[in-house]
Amino acid sequence: MRYWVRALCLSLALLIYYNLFGVVWEDRGTVRKNAPAAYILPSEFTRVLAFGQHGLLSDFLFLKTLTFVGGRSQSDEAMAEDDWLFVHKSLGVITDLDPYFVDPYMLAEGLLAWDARRPEEANEILRKGVKYRDWDWRFPFFIGFNSYYFLQDYETAATYIMQASKLPGSPEYLKTLGARLAYYGGKSKTALLFLKQMLAETDEPLLRRRLAMRLEALEGAVQIEEALDRYHEKRGQMPERLGDLVAAGYLLVMPKDPYGGEWVLMKSGRVFSTSKFAESESGH
Amino acid sequence: MIEVEVRDVAKTYNPGLFKKNVRAVNGLSFKVNGGEVFGLIGPNGAGKSTTIRMVMGLVRPDVGRILFRGKELSGTSFRREIGYLPENPYLYDHLTLEELLFFAGRTSGMEKKEIRLRAEELVERLCLTDVHARPLRTFSKGMLQRAGICFALLHDPSTLILDEPMSGLDPVGRKMVFDLVMELKRQGKTIFFCSHILNDVERLCDRIGLLNKGCLVREFSRNELLQINDGLLFLETRILELVEIEQIEQLGGRVREFEGGHLVAIPTEEYFSLNRYFEQSGIPVKGGRSEWLSLEDLFVEIVQEQAR
Amino acid sequence: MKTIYALAVITFKEGIRNRALFGVAFLALFLFGLNITVAGFFMRDIGKVTVDMNLSAISFAGLLLVFFVGVNLMGKDIDRKTIQLVLSKPLSRGQYVWGKYLGILFFVSVSLLLLLAFSTSTVLLVKLLYANYFIGFSFWLFWVAGFFVLLKLWVLSAIMIFFSSLTSNSLLALIFTLSSYVVGVSIEEVVYYLQTELAGQERMISDSLVSFVHVVSYFLPNLAVFDFTVEAAHGLPLSLERLILSFGYGVVYAVILLLLASFVFTRREFN
Repeated sequence: MRYWVRALCLSLALLIYYNLFGVVWEDRGTVRKNAPAAYILPSEFTRVLAFGQHGLLSDFLFLKTLTFVGGRSQSDEAMAEDDWLFVHKSLGVITDLDPYFVDPYMLAEGLLAWDARRPEEANEILRKGVKYRDWDWRFPFFIGFNSYYFLQDYETAATYIMQASKLPGSPEYLKTLGARLAYYGGKSKTALLFLKQMLAETDEPLLRRRLAMRLEALEGAVQIEEALDRYHEKRGQMPERLGDLVAAGYLLVMPKDPYGGEWVLMKSGRVFSTSKFAESESGH
Repeated sequence: MIEVEVRDVAKTYNPGLFKKNVRAVNGLSFKVNGGEVFGLIGPNGAGKSTTIRMVMGLVRPDVGRILFRGKELSGTSFRREIGYLPENPYLYDHLTLEELLFFAGRTSGMEKKEIRLRAEELVERLCLTDVHARPLRTFSKGMLQRAGICFALLHDPSTLILDEPMSGLDPVGRKMVFDLVMELKRQGKTIFFCSHILNDVERLCDRIGLLNKGCLVREFSRNELLQINDGLLFLETRILELVEIEQIEQLGGRVREFEGGHLVAIPTEEYFSLNRYFEQSGIPVKGGRSEWLSLEDLFVEIVQEQAR
Repeated sequence: MKTIYALAVITFKEGIRNRALFGVAFLALFLFGLNITVAGFFMRDIGKVTVDMNLSAISFAGLLLVFFVGVNLMGKDIDRKTIQLVLSKPLSRGQYVWGKYLGILFFVSVSLLLLLAFSTSTVLLVKLLYANYFIGFSFWLFWVAGFFVLLKLWVLSAIMIFFSSLTSNSLLALIFTLSSYVVGVSIEEVVYYLQTELAGQERMISDSLVSFVHVVSYFLPNLAVFDFTVEAAHGLPLSLERLILSFGYGVVYAVILLLLASFVFTRREFN
């Protein structure tokens, strides 16, 4: 008798639990979506509170950061200023806790430099990587790239690329690239070479996708620029519109801007797109 | 009336993963009658504690039945009639004896006032009055044993089941518990206990069961034990020769080996004839004994026989 | 009911007189003290940091209580066979489980209320010192968050009772409870991480892993449900619905575990 009473209670409780379970998790979903970017304690305190488990805490925080960014992009919400601040702070703390952990640096490059257009912040974190992982040529290479590509600071870029080229395992052509940077910094071709190398060195999927897209855009730009050069050589002047290149047979087809913009010929003779190669406008 | 009945019970333990099963009790049957003191004796590992735990419902037998007052063990109410003292009771560290006894009383359905009176009485009886408000962690082993007895007796049960009630007690404590059990026996309570201390068992029990390797080897009443020695005189002698032993037995005496010599049992009416024979053969009498076979002798004899 | 209460009372007394309590109280006081000293290091959001640190200190001290004192309250009974003595009284196994849980509940609640009182005075002190930085702060939210820390400990105690009823080794019960806690705290992050990864299709995640995590999320409590630190720290509005939902989730989960524990316990033998 008592057995049946208890069994009944249990099945009832299980039923309630099953129903509550769905509601609670659903509720958590909304709560998480509305949650402001979490506050990150400065690493001086985090280190104390980690109770010796620095590695584990850094792993956990990393996971949390990934999930946070993923959640925002999944719900098609733009990252707010505060959100980027959180990502920057949290990546800083993670790399303070475990400065040899490669993944957060990669994330810093992908998110802060490419998504948020905060190359200085990315470089700040990456410099920690240069300091600790001083055998790893990728870190000075990334800083060099950011300085060249986003900051147009060719001098700094050249210095870091030279530094990277001296580290073991770095590709041969980094030496030429470093030298070339100082003279032809402004050319799309240089950027193209750079990007190809970046793509070869990255296995972070988020960053890879961005790089591939940008590479495609740049290849288009380079193609047009090369056609322009040929046009200029033959005719001694620039075309009125870019469409003339196709009409005159210098280009078979006009390459597509993967970001969805229109190609524009600038006064300087360089080619640019109305999309400004910015992903946010095209969405993903 | 039969209080506790154990019928063809067997129990095998699984001591843990990848270990061989241990057979603790095998085909055990016995009865404890109302108002009697029944003692279970046996060497270590004979299955005494297991038997008691099965009677308490803490362990379930694999086969067989255990009846309390003719009914199967079920529910909890039967335990209101039982007071149980486990082997080497461990009591709560930070509680006082007072609080522990209060708990015992409340769970047995007693009123607060009743508990207080009864606890006072028991605590005084077992000389724990000075310490009853101290945490139990400060108690010595003997004090804990006595506190455990208070715990078992608080609700004035009609049946007592005690696992090694005398262990850890000093002579004074043992006397205290001994007198208490005698008094409970006089009050008509049924007492079922197991012990190593055969002297106590011999003096307390109406009936004794000898357990060895999970089986009840022998069961005898105190009268049977007394009868063995009734109407006989016991004389210690040197080692006797075979001819001498034959002669003594022809004259009505009995002989057994005893502590580096022989012990001769002489019926009182044959005393003179045997005495004459001793005189003639020059057999020295080293001393007298009061019993032919003590419980201890019997115990050792039976256990050794089983081992063979 | 009288029986359960009597057992709960001695369990509570046994716990509350444990010396380890002083250690935990000392640690908590140290953390509160640290909070007062450290508060000035922050330039803005002092209120937020204070609430964070206080709730963390309470939660941490409470966990220590459950894991080091609470586990022993039931585990030692079985370890040291005191349970044979207790069960010799007219007390069913189910009553034993509920009585023990109730006792641990009393113990944890009283200790936590004391800690919360200490903590409240700490917050009050910091608030007096830096009044300008406590704009969104309300004690009401702070206490709600504190109460849910307590609820989390109740759930953990139920988990502990459940594991204690399965094994006769209190260390094993401790390890199982501790692991459940670690998983319970992070399960939500893992589940949502998998969801975003799956949606992104960027990495290959095996289906079996996803379903495994899904099943685990049913068996173990999602302890993030009881975390209202962010709301308390920033003074964000809390819906009553969410409070009731979280409360119900915790209570139902604990009740299920206790029912299971009493089932298991009824079948157990005590050698």
